[in-house]
Amino acid sequence: MSAKTKTRTHGLRASQGPPASRQSPPDDGHASTGEQFIPQIETEIAGVRFQNPVWTASGTFGYGKEFSSLIDLNELGAIVVKGISPEPMEGNPPPRIYETESGMLNAIGLQNVGARRFLTEKLPFLRTLRARCIVNVFAYSTEDYVRCLEMLNEGEGIAAYELNISCPNTRCGGMVYGSDPKLTEEVVAASKKVARYPLFVKLSPNVTDITVFARAAESAGADALSLVNTFVGMAIDIETRRPRLWNVTGGLSGPSIKPVALRMVYQAARAVKIPIVGLGGISTTEDALEYFIAGARAVQVGTANFYDPGTSVRLVQGLRDYCQRKRLHLSEIIGSLKIPERATPIGTEG
Amino acid sequence: MYDEIVIVTGNRPLSGSHLLLSVESPRQAQATRPGQFAMLRILGRSDVLLRRPMSIYDLKAKNSEGENDRKPGSPRILQFLYKVVGHGTRLMSELKPGDQVGLLGPLGHGFFEEEYLPRAHQANEILHVAGGIGIAALLLPAKRLAEAGFHQRLFFGGRSKADLVGVEDFRPLVRGILMATENGSAGYRGFVTRPLEEYLARHTNKKYLLMVCGPWAMLRASVELARKYGHPCLVSMENRMGCGLGVCLGCCIRVQGTGHEAYQRVCTEGPVFWSEKVIWEDEAIAKT
Repeated sequence: MSAKTKTRTHGLRASQGPPASRQSPPDDGHASTGEQFIPQIETEIAGVRFQNPVWTASGTFGYGKEFSSLIDLNELGAIVVKGISPEPMEGNPPPRIYETESGMLNAIGLQNVGARRFLTEKLPFLRTLRARCIVNVFAYSTEDYVRCLEMLNEGEGIAAYELNISCPNTRCGGMVYGSDPKLTEEVVAASKKVARYPLFVKLSPNVTDITVFARAAESAGADALSLVNTFVGMAIDIETRRPRLWNVTGGLSGPSIKPVALRMVYQAARAVKIPIVGLGGISTTEDALEYFIAGARAVQVGTANFYDPGTSVRLVQGLRDYCQRKRLHLSEIIGSLKIPERATPIGTEG
Repeated sequence: MYDEIVIVTGNRPLSGSHLLLSVESPRQAQATRPGQFAMLRILGRSDVLLRRPMSIYDLKAKNSEGENDRKPGSPRILQFLYKVVGHGTRLMSELKPGDQVGLLGPLGHGFFEEEYLPRAHQANEILHVAGGIGIAALLLPAKRLAEAGFHQRLFFGGRSKADLVGVEDFRPLVRGILMATENGSAGYRGFVTRPLEEYLARHTNKKYLLMVCGPWAMLRASVELARKYGHPCLVSMENRMGCGLGVCLGCCIRVQGTGHEAYQRVCTEGPVFWSEKVIWEDEAIAKT
């Protein structure tokens, strides 16, 4: 391991100087009178500009409109809509969810309206927003991924696709792709060929080495990566001695997964050159900042939307406040993790 | 629908692990329609992540101190009748006046009058059938119907007398109350569906509208009786909920329909459904 202190700003060239808006000297506790530092929190991923790096995660925000009376959707950087399949899907029988310590399990079964109805019923509203619309896409065969993308290509105003190769709830397709590097390459390459919009690939964390999958997706043409999806988990009712979920297992999400998801974002950001979007247990500004510092260009708020609908918008402001306080722009925070020089290599545990 | 931090004005213990929680939110109280619910959040804890869905039992104009509202008719307080059944409800039982809680509501498609009023007008009597804490969903509808002059009757079953909370709130609204307890400590000994059937069988010349809320088995049995005797029946369902807003799809139940229409959300299309809409053979729900 290099002895150099690691202060990589992911994706930016070192020759790029501080933006023109930063007129005042670095933070030494004495700001010049009358000069205001306005932090830039715009972010750009695969050629797509986002007004800020706080997005909402697929499956946690419906198709956006459901939250419109509670928060100002125009404050968000992007909305990633519920996963879309070529045809509508019914989803699993109940029970579909179960609360765990600082988290929850879900086995919804990917219930969605299907590509056609998404284009006609949901996309028109999403197009009217300043928040960009990212469409999460899944299917059970490579041909169907391609077919779904071709159907969605007819839609206008989609900022990007997020390829879901990692859903743990279905018995075929999703789980298999996300845990086999060759299948990952196959589906990403086939999708990239037909995708009209930039292709982000959402990785599964249910793998031994996330960097293998990050590299596989990158080599197959992914424009960016989102990580992570949910972890496979389960719960049991000891009185009836039955699983708490109809599907037996489900996806674990929420604050309890953050340390592991964060570690994976950190590892993936070092393994590939394409941008990383981080998610997993983000419910506070502090959580989001950890992901930026680890190398994420944007973050997604997921489960927190369920119990605190104002979370995403609060994080945008929280990010601005942090940048203001530190007199840093977002671009200076991304990937800015500093690891001090050590005599011995860092192991993977303890 | 509003998302607010509100103040607890009361949390009164009743019999059998039941409590009546009162919180102040004029906005949500005034927007509430019968049969709706709210999602309650215990603040500042990581051991309970998700909100808890609570039927809005009653609305009050004054707070517990008896302070008069300038507009006596406009409600400011929402009341939730609940039973301690798990960790979340246990934490709720520890709330004291002055504490803050998160309140997201009112939510759900309740007993919306436009949809059941025609049937109610055709009925000689409206029969409320409550099982245990299911009573919490029926008081506001009963009050609204009483104001409109409908005849009503309550069939209320529970494990024991201690479970039959809320009876006194119904008394002024109904022509009769029939109680049933499994252990015989009050009223008929056994399930409430037995005296309900006797009543329906005794009055086959009458038309009724049933409004039912309670445990799955009781709902199922009541729906079967309604079908057998040819009466329309509304059921208020419950399920574990993730968001209460309609986005997580965690609370779906199987209904008549195929493809994307095969499941409907208890929090959004429900909690109230016409009984024929629900597919009752779905045993999976019986376990929740």
